[in-house]
Amino acid sequence: MTLRRLSWISIAASSLAVSGAHAALRVVATTPEYAAVASAVGGDKVSVTFLAKPTEDPHFVDAKPSHLVALNRADVLVEGGADLEVGWLPPLVQESRNPRIASGGSGRVAASEGIQLLDVPAQLDRSKGDLHAAGNPHFMMDPENAGIVAHHLADVFCRLDPGSCTAYQANRERFEKTLDERMRSWAAKLAPFKGTPIVTYHSTWRYFAARFGLVSDTFLEPKPGIPPSPPHLAEVIAKMNDQKIRVILVEPYQNRKQAEVVAEHTGGTVVNVCQFPGGLPGTDGDYFALMDADVSAVASALAPRSAS
Amino acid sequence: MELFTLWLWPFLALLLLPGILVYFGLHVVERGIIFVDLALAQVAALGICVAIFLGAHPGHDVLPYALSLVFTLLGAALFALTRFRHSRVPQEAFIGIIYVVAAAAATLVLSHSAEGDEEIKNLLVGNILLVNRAEVLRAFSLFAAVGILHYFLRARFLGITFRDRKVPGLGIPLRLWDFLFYGTFGVVVTSFVQIAGVYLVFSYLIVPAVCGALLCETIRGRLLVGWSVAFVAGLAGLTTSVKAETLDLPTGPTIVCFFGLLLLICGAISAVRGRGRAEA
Repeated sequence: MTLRRLSWISIAASSLAVSGAHAALRVVATTPEYAAVASAVGGDKVSVTFLAKPTEDPHFVDAKPSHLVALNRADVLVEGGADLEVGWLPPLVQESRNPRIASGGSGRVAASEGIQLLDVPAQLDRSKGDLHAAGNPHFMMDPENAGIVAHHLADVFCRLDPGSCTAYQANRERFEKTLDERMRSWAAKLAPFKGTPIVTYHSTWRYFAARFGLVSDTFLEPKPGIPPSPPHLAEVIAKMNDQKIRVILVEPYQNRKQAEVVAEHTGGTVVNVCQFPGGLPGTDGDYFALMDADVSAVASALAPRSAS
Repeated sequence: MELFTLWLWPFLALLLLPGILVYFGLHVVERGIIFVDLALAQVAALGICVAIFLGAHPGHDVLPYALSLVFTLLGAALFALTRFRHSRVPQEAFIGIIYVVAAAAATLVLSHSAEGDEEIKNLLVGNILLVNRAEVLRAFSLFAAVGILHYFLRARFLGITFRDRKVPGLGIPLRLWDFLFYGTFGVVVTSFVQIAGVYLVFSYLIVPAVCGALLCETIRGRLLVGWSVAFVAGLAGLTTSVKAETLDLPTGPTIVCFFGLLLLICGAISAVRGRGRAEA
C-alpha cells in the first residue's frame, strides 16, 4: 500500500515537473480515466495531471496544495460532470483563481456533455440521500462513451490550440481504432454471460453491464452513497441466494469487509475491479489496460468453476 | 509570489485567527479540561447534522449555523452544570461522555443521508487550504468581539480559572460565569473548527499553552510564548506543505507535526533551565 502510494506520488510529481516545458496545453483531469484519454488524444502536445488518486473515492477527494497549484496553471480542466465532483471541486476551482477553468471558462470541460446518462431521477431529492441527483456519472465504464469523450476532448484541444489540430484529430482516430478492436475482444469475452446478474457495492457498473449484456441492479448500498445497512444486506443475501448471483464487484476505496460477509452467506466471490487506470496493478495511465483488467476479472469470476 | 495569490487567505487565517485560541488554551490547560474543545466541536457538529437531516444545506442556509450555535450553547450549559457536581467523578469524565454520545448521535441522525459521513468528516478535519476571504473576515470579527469581551472581564475569567481567592463580581453565581466562558469558547471553537478542523484547533489550543507553561510563570509571558509558538508552527507548516511539491503534504497535519516539534524544543529548553537552576 505504502509503496503504491509512493509510486503514485512520484508519478504525479514527475508529471507536474514536466508541465510547462514544451507542451502547449496544460490539462488537469479530476480523475485518472479522463487523464488517460486526454493523454491519448493530446499526445506530446499536452501535459496531463489528475487530482483524485485512482484508489480514492471520486465523489470525495481531499484537497492538497498540489491540486491548487495544478489548477492555477491549467489551460484545461476535464471533469466528469453530472455532479460526480460536486462535493469537492467547486471550492478548489474557486481558490485556484484561474478564470480559464472557472465555470463557463474556455478551458472547462464536462465529459458528461453529450453522454446519454442512465438513472436520471424523475424528481430531485437529495435530502433522502442520493449521490447521483443528476444521473449516474460512471459512464466511462462503457467504452463507447470513452470514444465520445475522446471526440469531445479533441474538439476542445483544437479550439484552444488550432496549430496542433491535425495531430489531435489523428491521435483521436488512433484511439478510436484501438477502442473498436479491443471492444470486439471485450464483448467476446463477456458474451457467454449474457443476462447474468451481478452485485456491485456502488452503482458504478451500470454502464458496463448495459454495454456487455450483464444485469446490474443489485447494490450493497441501499442508495448511491448510503453505507450498507444490516436489513439491506440481508435483502441482498436473500436475492443472491434466490437468483444464484455469485459475483460481487468491489472497488479499492469501498468497504471490502461487508462484501466478504455477503459472499460468505451466499457462496459468492468478491472481485476487485476499478473504474480508474492505476487502481489495479499494471493499469497505470492506460484506459485500455484498465478495461482489459476489469473485463478479465469479471469474466473469470463468472466462468463456471471447474471443481463444481 | 504564490504566497500572495494562492495561499493568501490560508496564510492570513493562520496569522489572525489562532491568537484567541492560544488565550483560551491557557484556561483549558489550567482547568485541566483538555478535551472540552473536542466535545464542544462534536456537539456543534451534531447541530449541523440535525439541520442537514431537516433538509438544509451547510454553507447556503442559515439553519445549520443557527442550530450549531444553539447546540454549542446547550453544551456550554452542560459543562457549566457538571462543574463541582460530584466530588468522586472528575469533570473530564463528563466531557468524554458528552463527546461520544454527541458523535454517536450525529452518526445516527445522518445514517440515511449520502453526504452524512462527508459532512461529519469535513467538520472535524476541515481544510485550511480552501479557506476564503469571507470566512476569514467573518471569523476574525467574531474572534475580535469575543477577545474584547474577555479583555474587559479578564479579572473574573482569569481569576476563576487560576483559582484566585479575590475574584471580584461574585454577586453573579460562578456557574453563570462558567456558562459565559464555555459559551464564548464554544463559539470560537465551532467557527475555527469549520475552517481548520479538529486536529488544528486542538493543537492551537493545547500546544502553545503547554509551551508557555513550561517556559514562563506569568500569564503575560505564557501568552507571548504561546503566540510565538502558534505563529511559527502555522507559518512553517503552511510553507512546508506548499513548497515541498514532491511530497505534497496536506497542510493541517503538517502544522500539527510542527507543533509537536516545537513542544520538544520548549521541553528541552525547560529541562536545561531546570538543571541550571538546580546547579545554581
